[in-house]
Amino acid sequence: MIVTRNLTNITGRAWVFGNDINTDQIIQGQYLTILDYAEMAKHTFEIPRPLFASKVKKNDIVIAGRNFGGGSSREEAPKVLLESGIGCVIAESFARIFYRNGFNVGLPLLIAPNAAKLVKDGETVTVNLVEGTLTLRSNKDIIHGKPVTERILNLLSAGGAVQWYRKTLGKR
Amino acid sequence: MGKTLAEKLLANHTDDGKATAGDIVEAHIDLLMVHEVLGSRIIPILKEMDFKHVWDPKRIIVVNDHWAPASDINSAEIHRRNRNFVREQGIMNFCDVDCGISHQILPESGLVAPGDLIIGSDSHSTTYGAFNAFSTGLAATDSALILATGMSWFMVPETIRIEVDGKLSKMVMSKDLILLILKDLGPDGANYKSIEFFGTTIDNMDVGPRMTMCNMTVEAGAKCSPMMVNGYVESWMKNVAPTRKWTSTKPDDDAEYIQNLTYDLNKDPLCPMVATPDNPTNGQSVIEVSGVPIDQAFIGSCTNGRIDDLEIAAKILKGKKIRKGVRLIITPASRETYVHALHEGLVEIFMDAGAIVTNSTCGACVGGHLGVLGAGEVCISTTNRNFRGRMGHKDSSIYLASPATVAASALEGAITDPRRV
Repeated sequence: MIVTRNLTNITGRAWVFGNDINTDQIIQGQYLTILDYAEMAKHTFEIPRPLFASKVKKNDIVIAGRNFGGGSSREEAPKVLLESGIGCVIAESFARIFYRNGFNVGLPLLIAPNAAKLVKDGETVTVNLVEGTLTLRSNKDIIHGKPVTERILNLLSAGGAVQWYRKTLGKR
Repeated sequence: MGKTLAEKLLANHTDDGKATAGDIVEAHIDLLMVHEVLGSRIIPILKEMDFKHVWDPKRIIVVNDHWAPASDINSAEIHRRNRNFVREQGIMNFCDVDCGISHQILPESGLVAPGDLIIGSDSHSTTYGAFNAFSTGLAATDSALILATGMSWFMVPETIRIEVDGKLSKMVMSKDLILLILKDLGPDGANYKSIEFFGTTIDNMDVGPRMTMCNMTVEAGAKCSPMMVNGYVESWMKNVAPTRKWTSTKPDDDAEYIQNLTYDLNKDPLCPMVATPDNPTNGQSVIEVSGVPIDQAFIGSCTNGRIDDLEIAAKILKGKKIRKGVRLIITPASRETYVHALHEGLVEIFMDAGAIVTNSTCGACVGGHLGVLGAGEVCISTTNRNFRGRMGHKDSSIYLASPATVAASALEGAITDPRRV
């Protein structure tokens, strides 16, 4: 079960990626029959960043360019990021299904311009999802992104769509 | 202001009959398709939800297609869970590992009709747009919520209007056309958007090639791509669902589009296209990449594994042998397609040419089985995605093309213009 997250102070090291990181780069199709997410997460970003799974730490932050998460509808993509401890994914834009899946599984996502250009790989950053900001620890620069809607904040605070369903629809 | 097809189709499924681009609406789902993701991901979610019964066992189809028949112990377990779920819940529509690929089976079974709102746990669910349906892919959590409630929320998409007029030349297929359109749109050019196709080329196009185009609109990020009903769709419906009532939906003449693209194939004839690694939007004329050596040629998938695709491949391969050292793998999209190909003598032509004909499955396209690529190998494929590692090893490369181009390339052992064989 996912615990309610602190959405105003997510601090971690940045893993910086380019544009069009598709779902096969996040988790390859060959691993989709693995039934245990912890086992599957060992293959996260295996193609673009082979050392990711062994080096990632709790609350690290993925920062990417345009169209993050395009391709397959596989929910395993945001799930393995969450399982790896990723605190937030920031991108210039997200592919439609990934964006929806991310919030459904309780993974914070922030749309922010130029973050992948301004943040250095490995640099420590802080995300405030409620205000939609990304702060660099080095020079205190603040990148302003697009704050998420109230509906999405409620979903994330509940811990994802299933918990939200249990609180609302499931009680009807 | 008039309404687009996406707006009208969604509005017909909301309680208040309203849906305007940018709105968030709750809509009633006509049909939900789930495949292996049911056993692997959805069932555990349903347990967390304290789920008891599906909202309507008639409006759900379960398909075991991705690793059919099971390629390993995990996929066997997933299939077993799906079979149990179907039995326990009394689900009326079930296609086990002997059926074929979901996106082919749903239309063949008469489960897709004009005007429908269809959700699949698979991104290529945009395919049903060929039948004037609003259809899109969602994933496990949304599918679980639909299984429980029959409802889902949608942001009503804005629409890109694409008009295509003129004739496709000999050996040029709808796959070539969609690869050109994807090249122009780019990998996120239609993100969150609906694509509506118009023009004489689309009006005169048979159901199969229309499905190929709608199948791949998601490669530019499209949410859905409903087409208008034509004569081919009408006869298809008469054939597969003669008693089912449906009405066709048309956009208003003054509907608002955020972008317009036009193609005149008579003025600018289309060449066979090839999308180079590692994105489906990397389309180039086949002339630019002719001669690239290949290890494997693959004809199949929800994009191009239908009977018309097999017919054109057989026309090219008949009485010839594929190049030594090259594997040609042919995976018909469904059992029905396979049987049809058998009766037409296509399977014999393929076997004589040196091809391997497999059972129907997503198989090689997802790097699952029956055609996985090894390190450094090059494949030309009729599938929809050539992302790095999609069909196997991270250091393999995939070129996407039409069945004609793939068949011609198998003969030569290198990427070949099908107009030259």
